[in-house]
Amino acid sequence: MVNQEMFKSKRINTLTISTVCLLLTLFQNSCQTNAPSKRITIASSGKVNSLDPARANTLKALQLISSLGDTLYELDNDGELIPKLASKMPVISKDKLKISISLKKNILFHDGTPFDSKAMKFTIERFQRIGTNNYILDKKIKSIETPNKNTLIINLNKPASSLEGLLTSVNLTAISPSFYKNHIDKFLNNNFVGTGQYVLKSFSNEVQILDPNLNYWDLKPKNHGINFVGYSNSSSLYGALKSKQIDLLLSNSIDDSQRKDLNFLSKKKEFKEGISNPTEVSFISLRTNIEPLNKKEIRLAISKTINREEISKNVSYGLRQPSKSIVPQIFKGDNLVSWPKYSPKEAIKILKDEGFCNGKTLNLPLTYRSNVPTDKLIALYWKQDVQAYMEDCLSININGVESTTIYKNLSEGLYTAVILDWTGTYSDPEAYLLPLLSCNKLDKNICNQGESVYSGSFWGSEKIEKLFLEAQSLYGNERLKILLKIERLASEAIPYIPIWVSSQKAWSQKNISKPIFNGAGRLLMGDLEIINE
Amino acid sequence: MSKNYTKIIKYTFLKVSLIPLSLLIISTLVFILLRVAPGDPVDAILGSGADDIAREALRTRLGLNESIISQYYNYIEKLIHFDLGKSLSNQEPVINIIRNSLPASLELGFVSIIIAILIGLPIGYWGLNNKNKSSDYISRIFGISTYAIPPFWGAMMAQLIFSVILRIFPIGGRFPIYQQSTNITGFIILDSILKNNFLALQGAIYHIALPSLTLGFLLSGIFSRSFRLNLEKSYSSQYVDAAICRGIDNRNILINYAIPNALLPILTISGVTLASLAGGALLIEVTFSWPGIALRLQEAITQRDYNLVQGIVLVTSFLIVSLNLLIDILIAFLDPRIEY
Repeated sequence: MVNQEMFKSKRINTLTISTVCLLLTLFQNSCQTNAPSKRITIASSGKVNSLDPARANTLKALQLISSLGDTLYELDNDGELIPKLASKMPVISKDKLKISISLKKNILFHDGTPFDSKAMKFTIERFQRIGTNNYILDKKIKSIETPNKNTLIINLNKPASSLEGLLTSVNLTAISPSFYKNHIDKFLNNNFVGTGQYVLKSFSNEVQILDPNLNYWDLKPKNHGINFVGYSNSSSLYGALKSKQIDLLLSNSIDDSQRKDLNFLSKKKEFKEGISNPTEVSFISLRTNIEPLNKKEIRLAISKTINREEISKNVSYGLRQPSKSIVPQIFKGDNLVSWPKYSPKEAIKILKDEGFCNGKTLNLPLTYRSNVPTDKLIALYWKQDVQAYMEDCLSININGVESTTIYKNLSEGLYTAVILDWTGTYSDPEAYLLPLLSCNKLDKNICNQGESVYSGSFWGSEKIEKLFLEAQSLYGNERLKILLKIERLASEAIPYIPIWVSSQKAWSQKNISKPIFNGAGRLLMGDLEIINE
Repeated sequence: MSKNYTKIIKYTFLKVSLIPLSLLIISTLVFILLRVAPGDPVDAILGSGADDIAREALRTRLGLNESIISQYYNYIEKLIHFDLGKSLSNQEPVINIIRNSLPASLELGFVSIIIAILIGLPIGYWGLNNKNKSSDYISRIFGISTYAIPPFWGAMMAQLIFSVILRIFPIGGRFPIYQQSTNITGFIILDSILKNNFLALQGAIYHIALPSLTLGFLLSGIFSRSFRLNLEKSYSSQYVDAAICRGIDNRNILINYAIPNALLPILTISGVTLASLAGGALLIEVTFSWPGIALRLQEAITQRDYNLVQGIVLVTSFLIVSLNLLIDILIAFLDPRIEY
């Protein structure tokens, strides 16, 4: 009996020891994750559905493609266009219908095939044919010629000065024609062969592994490779950085309270914070084709009730820059165009002149995207501010709707006022102005067909249309002046109320160099290096 | 063959023959509901920036310009040929997306149920063994409170404590970043065993540990409460009284009489829970970035990816119906009292 008990006890001990050993073995793994690696692990939100430049339209996919490939031109930190695969700036013919681009020599794709004018022609034509965002080219290109290996000639249907900016678009990243020969008319989602600093080693929707391109034609990466991982929520991203499970967090979609905390920790030098130039504009679109917002004075009064500084302070902890413009400053140099500023007293005066106040309240239904947390906070703050300072002149009724539903119904004119944001698909002021202000069918100042219908404002102007056309045949400063004039005209008509501009942010651990972005808001992964402190 | 077996076969045959009809009804309902919901894939893909021409072009390319009847006809025709179509957002075959994500959900669900049973049953037994004592109250409170904890809160707390503060477990994902996924069956634990890859097995267990412990813990309350109640019921039955009269000792009565009968309802609960987890545990998958079917479904709904939503709903419905049928048959075999 004693022996039996002893045997039982021994058995239990063995079982316990085995379990502890198993757990210890497993937990060893956690130490391995923290062990120094020469590769850098970057985390971002969500997953990558496609690495095809013709298909990609999420920030994460665009970021990856810009590290794996190159475009003809790139935007530097000062917003200046610089040649990348092109050897110099494009030459425009006198009639402005022909753009000649000289290409760099001796550049190889990751599959070993040479990059030349035919490859670039293949890339552009493929995007024109199947690109999800191919509307950005909008029948600008008539044909493409390749007189020799290093010269590309783009013939235009009409003068299109914005094409220079378009050539910086990640969607036009050069791809290898031989590798994509079976994907001329369809997407290749899980692979990529370009000319970039990195070569794709493996791809899954959640994890992408990038190795340095040892034959890269320009500066080689300062690290031994990148592991790019996606987490599905903000808390995981934040927790992963804090627990040192990742080296760098790249995201503009984490909660503002966590941004604030990371900003604070960066000031305490626990992390290094990198900020891009602002590229995303948040604004309120006002439906101008119905009463009472068809009156400019009413729109002016409403726009004077937005306290951008306080909204930025209360909603984003001051981390998003209040903006009185619908075009980020980087694209405008030192030029300023100012939309109406906050002044509730003036707003009350205007509304009184228009017959409101003293018992007659202007009720403004405001729709926000329920799946964008900051939109709701903006709406709530504005509503509260209006309640506090606008007496009985103005009242805001807020309503949350899922973003896809809003995009569907914008052009149907379902929303009197709606909070939206926009990031230009290429690096140019026109990429912000055209989608918000352009109109194909105008009736006085009401747009019946065109981009401004899809932005929910239904506002247009003959003068602006003429200026857009004029800008197409101008280059440099002259063109910029025209584009600024367009924004000025819009700021006087107030079809939109700009709120703030947002930047991409990244935070790295202390042993990693500070994250740096290029002018288009892409993280320069090749500049990241492990340092000893 | 006994009369009962014949009845079971008849019942199985009837149920199996009803599966295609159930699936047809489900797929039709999903098809209609998706088209009734505001917004379409084009809006989700292009956002608010694209013009009318671009939208129309994409709509035509995705086949969304055809009439609803024609779209439905094409859908059913493909379905008959076991073709679930291609994802509207990235043109990947839907079946490939399901093949990649369903095993993740099933693996997590299966491990979680095992953990729930391992936690729940001893606690239920411990409570009954100390009936009306403080341990019994603790066991009851445990049962109710684990059931009452909101899964997203429980998961976030587990992540905060064990991943961020104690740094024992990884924050999310299914396998280590540096490790390539081993793909034979899609079940990483099984695949690494089949490939004799100890490192992969270690990585897989290390990654599944926290999500499955959390889910298992949250589910264990149902098992502890149910086991306690059924064990108590078994103890008060006539066959246990008869066993006591025959002088059989308590241990034998527990193992041979009380537990087998108390476990039958547990089998039903396990089956139903596993069936419901076949569709994924969304909040756990979202919190732990677990690339399962529920996470895919959520993304597909946001993107209005009709084909992917239809495919996922259809496959998970089939799994749920089949698992329920399997449990029914299993219980009928195990318990001769049950008649169909």
